Amino acid sequence: MTIANMEAAISLRGMKLQHERFALGPVDCSIPKGMVTAIVGPNGSGKSTLFRALLGLEPVRAGEIEMLGTLLDGNQGDQYKSRIGFLAENPHAHESHLTANEKAKFASNWYPSWEWERYNKLLRHFDVDGGIKLSKMSKGMRRKAELSIAMAHDPDLLLLDEPSSGLDPFAWKTMLEELGRYMEPGDRTLVLATHILEEIKRLADYILFIYRGKVLGLYEKDRLLDDWRTIVVQIDYAAKGGSEMLQRAPGFQGLSEAGAGLYRLEVDDPERGEAYCRDNGFRVVAVQRMELEDILSCLIRKEEARR
Amino acid sequence: MWLPIRIDEQRPEPLYHQIEVQLRGLILGGQLKEGTLLPSIRELAVSLKCSAITVRRVYQDLENEGLIRTRQGTGTFVAGVEPVARDEHRLERLTEELEKAIEIGLQLGCAPEEIETAFRQALHRKATEKGEDSS
Repeated sequence: MTIANMEAAISLRGMKLQHERFALGPVDCSIPKGMVTAIVGPNGSGKSTLFRALLGLEPVRAGEIEMLGTLLDGNQGDQYKSRIGFLAENPHAHESHLTANEKAKFASNWYPSWEWERYNKLLRHFDVDGGIKLSKMSKGMRRKAELSIAMAHDPDLLLLDEPSSGLDPFAWKTMLEELGRYMEPGDRTLVLATHILEEIKRLADYILFIYRGKVLGLYEKDRLLDDWRTIVVQIDYAAKGGSEMLQRAPGFQGLSEAGAGLYRLEVDDPERGEAYCRDNGFRVVAVQRMELEDILSCLIRKEEARR
Repeated sequence: MWLPIRIDEQRPEPLYHQIEVQLRGLILGGQLKEGTLLPSIRELAVSLKCSAITVRRVYQDLENEGLIRTRQGTGTFVAGVEPVARDEHRLERLTEELEKAIEIGLQLGCAPEEIETAFRQALHRKATEKGEDSS
């Protein structure tokens, strides 16, 4: 799964991980540089495990991971991480006794490009008092503080695991602004795991769907939204194998009954799909774009059928 | 800067096409003057809720048409438009809109002569209104 003419920030080649009860991969994909990629999938799909693997925190069983040109072969050291910012899904308990500023002081030793001015600006914009202990902060407040710390060294690559969890709508909007500003120069790469569709719609250039440890696909978001359509058709001769005929439509992805003689046909080749329906005597009642969650459900159903 | 571009999710045209048509219209219609600095690719993508890839494609197409220019490090600007191109665009837009109206007329079962008469009357009425407004 490679995007043509695109420099990769992250390359995974046949990468495999194995836990006691969970297997991830093999994963083959290249996450393009200068772009925002959203990792989307149901809970327990392996999103957080994937992040940990990218940071060299999981033993890779097979295949390769390359981060910003550094091959993670066990001898890579920690140098490459100085150009990466990471926000974990859950706060680390052992840091709870620190104030935000103390954690930032600690982080600043790790990153040569750390800038206190940037950190303070982010805190101000997020309306966070850095002198408060992380354990005394609300969930959202701590999230904002940790995000400021993750971004203060202006990383080339920013990895965010469900960044908006716990944020109120105002903080969420501030976060979108900051992430937009971060991407502005055009050479930064943002990878975020998220369940918030509005966040994906507003931020993402690419969507990486994962499910049960498998990559279902890396898609250009707008292509996905342009190409996938639901065609509602009326079948007057259902008895004569109308639904079998619909399953042969170009770009066929899914079919469900929507009422008496009404079918919802899901396709990713809308023009030819619609023409096929008309040519075969079906009455096209409506053609609609699909929402991301419906596209994901459809991909999951196909994967389930394959298993 | 904010651009009056709207994406209509009900329309079948791809997003890049919708954006491109509207931005081209703003330039050829003279709403965006020569030398105007356009938003960066990321800025426009965020404000339209579309991907940077889509905006980059639009900017590339319009740059190939000579309507905008990108200067390394400074940004993307509106280029000068030949008056001939502007006139052509105006007539093209007019033709498009008239065709839509005619389409509706035909759907309603009007004869071509009826449409022509209705068109002349409407044109006369509008032109008179305009004349009265400005006097």
